[in-house]
Amino acid sequence: MLARYAVGAGLVLALGVLHLQLDNNLALAAQWQLITGADPSGFEQVRFFYAALPRVILAVLVGAVLGTVGSLLQQVTRNPLVSPLTIGASSGAWLALVCASVWLPALAVDERALVAMVGAATSVGLVLVIAGRNGISGLPVILAGMATHLLMGAAASAIILLNQEAAQGVFIWGTGNLTQNDWNWVQWLWPRLLVLPLILMLAPRPLTLMRLGEAGARGRGFSYGPVLVVLLIGALWILATSITAVGIIGFLGLIAPNIARSLGARRAGDELASSALLGAVLLLATDSMAQAAGDWFGELVPSGTAAALVGAPALVIFAHRKLSHGDQTALTLPHGARRTTWLTWGLAVGVLLALILLTLTYTPEAGGFVPGLPLAWPSELIWSLRAPRLLTASAAGVGMAVAGLILQRLIRNPLASPDILGMSAGATLALVIFTLWTGTSIYQAGPGVAFLGSLVVLAVLMVIGRRSHYAPGIVILVGISLAALMEALVHFVLAQGTQSTHLILGWLSGSTYRASADRSLLLAAGVAALVLLVLVFNRWLTLISIGDPMARARGVNVARARMVLLLVVCALCALVTALMGPVAFVGLLAPHVAALLGARRVLPQLVLAAMVGMGLMTLSDWLGRTLLYPDQLPAGLMAALLGGSYFIFLLTRRRLG
Amino acid sequence: MVLQLKQLGALVLGLCLAFTASADITVTDSRGEQTFESVPERVVALNWSMAENLVELGVDPVGVADVPGYRRWVVQPQLPDSVVNVGKRSEPNMERIASLDPDVILLSTDQSGLADKMSRVAPVLFFDAFRKDHSNAEQAKTIFLELGRLFQREERARHQLAMLEARFIWLRGRLRDHFGEDLPAVVSVGFASPTVVRVFGTNGMPWYVLRQLGMESAMPQPASQWGQTQKEVADLNELGRDDALLYFRPTVLAGDLLEKPLWNALPVVEAGRVAPVEPAWVYGGAMSLRYLAENMTDALLTIEP
Repeated sequence: MLARYAVGAGLVLALGVLHLQLDNNLALAAQWQLITGADPSGFEQVRFFYAALPRVILAVLVGAVLGTVGSLLQQVTRNPLVSPLTIGASSGAWLALVCASVWLPALAVDERALVAMVGAATSVGLVLVIAGRNGISGLPVILAGMATHLLMGAAASAIILLNQEAAQGVFIWGTGNLTQNDWNWVQWLWPRLLVLPLILMLAPRPLTLMRLGEAGARGRGFSYGPVLVVLLIGALWILATSITAVGIIGFLGLIAPNIARSLGARRAGDELASSALLGAVLLLATDSMAQAAGDWFGELVPSGTAAALVGAPALVIFAHRKLSHGDQTALTLPHGARRTTWLTWGLAVGVLLALILLTLTYTPEAGGFVPGLPLAWPSELIWSLRAPRLLTASAAGVGMAVAGLILQRLIRNPLASPDILGMSAGATLALVIFTLWTGTSIYQAGPGVAFLGSLVVLAVLMVIGRRSHYAPGIVILVGISLAALMEALVHFVLAQGTQSTHLILGWLSGSTYRASADRSLLLAAGVAALVLLVLVFNRWLTLISIGDPMARARGVNVARARMVLLLVVCALCALVTALMGPVAFVGLLAPHVAALLGARRVLPQLVLAAMVGMGLMTLSDWLGRTLLYPDQLPAGLMAALLGGSYFIFLLTRRRLG
Repeated sequence: MVLQLKQLGALVLGLCLAFTASADITVTDSRGEQTFESVPERVVALNWSMAENLVELGVDPVGVADVPGYRRWVVQPQLPDSVVNVGKRSEPNMERIASLDPDVILLSTDQSGLADKMSRVAPVLFFDAFRKDHSNAEQAKTIFLELGRLFQREERARHQLAMLEARFIWLRGRLRDHFGEDLPAVVSVGFASPTVVRVFGTNGMPWYVLRQLGMESAMPQPASQWGQTQKEVADLNELGRDDALLYFRPTVLAGDLLEKPLWNALPVVEAGRVAPVEPAWVYGGAMSLRYLAENMTDALLTIEP
């Protein structure tokens, strides 16, 4: 154990010294003199003293904080997937700063700490409230974190899209950039981090007791609950201050404790201290890489982007090797009606028709044929503008709903959906990479590229999932990694500060704006064909969701059926993502809503979920188009806001299984 | 007799008008030659530089995208009060554009890929103004001339471009009076954060203006679509003590960087060869080059020779 600490401390020192040698040609003796208090003279020395040195110290401090907080959270929740990123701290701070920079620009510069802190605290508080007392140690807290993360990210994107120029101020911060111009952030940060050694000292005892279980702890006359709450508040405090100082750096807090455990840190205090050291090592290494890459490309490479690029695959590989028998917590969402009635179907059809009619006739410009309501029968031109959008939104909704339902039935996991599992993100990444590679517009990349992307994610899921029997916790890990990677990418694109960033952001938010008649027909036809295929094979779904032996007994080739259905999911995902853009939450929610309405058997659930998905997307598109008229918000973004809010509402009412 | 002359005059005038009305106007945009039967009167601009071009040509647009944004970030030349906001530049509201019943819609790089869809509403001109593989500033001038041709104000456009060149020469003269024959090498930057600057390099509008003013870049950057590269502030140490550094206002994103030891130890800053430039839109059209050149010259003149 001591050897491990010695190696860790040695690594921090070595990496720190190495980091200092980037971008400077001072002799080591001169560097030492500056560190020991000589006045810097000349730019090289000033740069070393005011930029390089504080940067290294900040990297060590922040790395240690991320590692410690990650470890504490994972031990308290007994959940190897919890981290500052997954409980929503970073996205809360991001949303708060975006708001401040748009509406109170002076506040965003001068009181950045306060704004970020309020944002982070609010969103973490929200996540904890949603997860509830019992949910904190299991899957609900991760889900609540993921949902909050997506929701806040969508809200921030909406504000940025509406205020392209004004939001510039926080873009660099959003990428997680450690570049310093003075000691002020170090000076600001270190007194606030005095809580860190306190946590390292005080946390091990209650954490150890907690491992004995509540009864065991009470038997020793000690209730660890209140102590843990105080410790958690302390951890959030140092986390929020660190985020404030350097911006969003994901993954470290998630990976460091997992590595620490795999290196043999078993006892509570040991894991905390090892994670702190590892966090420092990892951030120093990542930041050195980012800075070296920046020198190589002649352009700034933010550390947060580098951390995500390295962290996402690392996490997946790591999970594959180490987390195989992880969290088995099941989660059931509230039960609704027992079965569908004619009323349900009538209402569903009626609401859908009303929505379609509203979308086609609502005309803010003119008073129409119904007095007092801005409705008008569309002219030929208006029809040609609205119909492709309606068709695209509807088809995307149906596609995602059906894809979500297949996944939930196949994996027997109520949370499976293309967005939570990362298949949409895979398609998106493939499209973005293709665009960057070929230098073409993202609108020219076809569904083939997107299909490849979601296929890769599917393959990774199969490899990881098979060993854990698709345990919810592990399966959504890929989704979390890819979602964080996507977010880092968005932040990186935004930080470029050119006039074309909002184009990419608009696409990443899933917009029907550019839907043409051809593309919308292609999407609709593709989705219709795939859904038809699923309808034909709905018996497979029914049998597999009962159990593989049952399916086999009825003469289904389970392996082949599973593969065909999963390929259909990939194709649906790829079609929607390539022809419209990423759509979140619809695939997750539509099957649940259908079940809530009473559709329990496969066939009715399939049809009803498709109708719900269609309705949700149509409504989102209409709201996005008319709410801020003449400005518009992308349908995918509105769906994320609507769906995310509804999902959080569902989570607060869930029953734990 | 007098009456007859008047009638004759009217006849000639009428014939002329009829002739011009029937002659098609051909304009070349980024997609090729586009033909208009008459001079468009109701014009919608979906990009701020297109809106600026219209105002400079004396054409009042009926609709512009993100009017509040234009009034806040571009400021000059001022848009007419009557102009209608048609939504954001990335997703302009086609239904509102259609309700304005335009004769032509002007698109630029921000709206690439929208031309086909927009042309359902009205004839479209798409100018891909910002590209890596051409000179953005030269392209801006070409676009200005094409628009002049479209509105049959080609003479006016040519005249204004000539005025721009004359302005450059006059400003260059002032700079030579100030600095002597050897003008310093200059680089201009904008602040992205207290530690990051955007260096305007090859193909950036500020870079072009500096060249027109007879100056070389003190920190050459490879050409890019928007002509800017993000760098750490400390990387500005490439600049020597004889060079000059310009930074654009507003500097709110820089925080208190300008008082920091790191900034003040930069050789170029220590030598006192640094000056702020009054706000100007750096992604604009041809005529915005004038505002840029004037503001940058004013800043340079505050630096000791």
